[in-house]
Amino acid sequence: MTAPEVHHLFHNPIADHSFSADHKTLAVARNTTVELYSKVGNAFKLKDELKGHDKTVTSIDIAPNSGRIVSCSQDRNALVWEPTPQGYKPTLVLLRINRAATFVRWSPSETKFAVGSGDRLIAVCYFEEENDWWVSKHLKKPIRSTVTTVAWHPNSVLLAAGSTDAHARVFSSFIKGVDARPEPTAWGERLPFNTVCGEYMNNSAGWVHSVAFSPSGDALAFAAHDSSITVVYPSAPEQPPKAVISINTQLLPFMSLIWNGEAEIIAAGYDCEAFRFAGGVDGWQLSGAVETKGRPGLGDQREESALNMFRQMDLKGKAKDDTQLKTVHQNTITMIRPFETSGDAVKKFSSTGVDGRIVIWTV
Amino acid sequence: MSIIREHTQATLSDAWRTIDIDALEEDSPANFDTATLRPAQQQPEVSEADVRQLQAQVRQLLRGGDAEGALRGCLEAPAYGGSELARDAALHTVIEVLQSIKASDMTPMLRRIYGGAGGSECLDVLMKYIYKGMAATSSATGGAPRTPTRMTPQPTGFSQIGPRPGASGESTGAAMSVLLSWHEKVVEVAGLGCIGRVMTDWRKV
Amino acid sequence: MVSLDQRASQSLRPYLQAVRSSLTAALCLSNFASQTAERHNVPEVEARTSPEVLLTPLTIARNENERVLIEPSINSIRISIKIKQADEIEHILVHKFTRFLTQRAESFFILRRKPIKGYDISFLITNFHTEEMLKHKLVDFIIQFMEEVDKEISEMKLFLNARARFVAESFLIPFD
Repeated sequence: MTAPEVHHLFHNPIADHSFSADHKTLAVARNTTVELYSKVGNAFKLKDELKGHDKTVTSIDIAPNSGRIVSCSQDRNALVWEPTPQGYKPTLVLLRINRAATFVRWSPSETKFAVGSGDRLIAVCYFEEENDWWVSKHLKKPIRSTVTTVAWHPNSVLLAAGSTDAHARVFSSFIKGVDARPEPTAWGERLPFNTVCGEYMNNSAGWVHSVAFSPSGDALAFAAHDSSITVVYPSAPEQPPKAVISINTQLLPFMSLIWNGEAEIIAAGYDCEAFRFAGGVDGWQLSGAVETKGRPGLGDQREESALNMFRQMDLKGKAKDDTQLKTVHQNTITMIRPFETSGDAVKKFSSTGVDGRIVIWTV
Repeated sequence: MSIIREHTQATLSDAWRTIDIDALEEDSPANFDTATLRPAQQQPEVSEADVRQLQAQVRQLLRGGDAEGALRGCLEAPAYGGSELARDAALHTVIEVLQSIKASDMTPMLRRIYGGAGGSECLDVLMKYIYKGMAATSSATGGAPRTPTRMTPQPTGFSQIGPRPGASGESTGAAMSVLLSWHEKVVEVAGLGCIGRVMTDWRKV
Repeated sequence: MVSLDQRASQSLRPYLQAVRSSLTAALCLSNFASQTAERHNVPEVEARTSPEVLLTPLTIARNENERVLIEPSINSIRISIKIKQADEIEHILVHKFTRFLTQRAESFFILRRKPIKGYDISFLITNFHTEEMLKHKLVDFIIQFMEEVDKEISEMKLFLNARARFVAESFLIPFD
């Protein structure tokens, strides 16, 4: 187990982060700007700042092939940043929403992206050649509250979304002229726009913080505020699912989750560290933390804390220094993403959180 | 003239200023239907008779020395969505069971329940009862605070006649300390996630 | 008297422990923009405009006149404390003390300017506070406040009584 790579970028929350396909560029959302970092030696250096939003930027995503960056913000807008030789050129997206935009992700095909919003809808955006503009179509029913997260199915038509009404849903976002007719899946066969292929909720409710399709797209996992992870296996279109497995944990809620193959899920959140879940259609369980505490790389930090201990005893009459958490992240982890994959398996993943750190973990 | 009078009469009462106009719009977030946050397969309404029956069974078990069975019995049939009276009766039954269990038996018993089928759910229900128990006892007496809110004028202002601290509220204090020690033990076994689920769950005991 | 004090401190520990674990579980906040007003970001627990982002409030009580109410929501929580008041002097002292603090609310960041009904002092913690400050330190602060405030009030009461006795004695000297 190699030690994780830790970079402390700044003392602000990182709402979201995204690496370019070659890992050379890292985009992070900091307050109202998108900051682009590039790796110089062992550290990340600030390369560019993308200013265009006037409220907190809530989410960003870099399309791996085209290199386009899409960002969205609580100012109700989303911008597509086109890479040009003179730098990034922003284009405003016609979202037609009246509340904050909360989450954005490119579809795997990169011809569309989905923006979740506080207007209780999802805007599915695509490029209209004749107008030279990104336009959107709204997925509205039956969303009843702010959409907190979205995730794409590998076929770029199905879209999973979680919202604060405690439901995770699977929609069709098929747009004529943009998408090819998808192969039928267990989620559905004929998929006109806004078909609801599934709607799931835990017994103990809880806002959904994160959703993800398994690499094959045949299972859906979501993390909710009731400290649970739920995995749904659909059986056939219009049929009740084969299995809905809910794991209520003893931990604090998870904010983000990713699949590692079909049999493992990695989730992280308010406990400031990542945990693994293992299982399959017959059942899932928590298998442990990703982080091994007290690992060898921490020697220098321990020395420093010994110094701190005496300082604390001297200044405050306190024997224990408890300002530092034992975890690498010092505050909630808000986003984890696969960093390096081989096939369906995740070899490395990156995490960012409220503490302004980005950490790259080896699985 | 008449228009002016009407106008002044309308403004005499400024009640219209406090109308929550958001609530009037059907589609507004203020009118979120919280029924959608409860699971679709509703448990049957718990009637008072059901609770009485449960109470009798639980007492039987307690007399027979099977405190664990009694506790499990209460937690597997939580009083969701019953009338106020039924739910209060259910709460009293649970508190009765909790009070009858020795401190040294708490943790092993909780561990056995947590390890069993549906154990996590059971402890979530227990946690809901513990919080309800604490809220109920404090609000029952909190309605009429013993500490006078309206100061009675006294010549010195240093009246010592009032009861000594801790002298009163002994009985509620004792009930609370049972609930508090159970709270601590449940958190040890079921973690903070258990408290989180008490907060998120819309099925209330 | 000693045994009474001992029992009090014994039941204080589980009380504070219960407050600590409830607070830790409730302080899971995220940045959440208002669904009602565009381009606004307000503490939902105060605005109360969207029922689904408010969670079940938790009450932790030690006895009928010492309790804590935690009202959680998606981006903020409100903590209200009812401080022990055994008699009228303590009632006056608590009132003066909390008034002193709430008048200086700007320098306490998380202090609410007005306690909610039925409680002596309220705190309002938003996601911006948990982003800036360490969560476990915020919890420590509340716990420490609860520990200290009881001590402070009893000390003030003793001091006040001592002073009253001294004044009374001085008044009675001429009649000696």
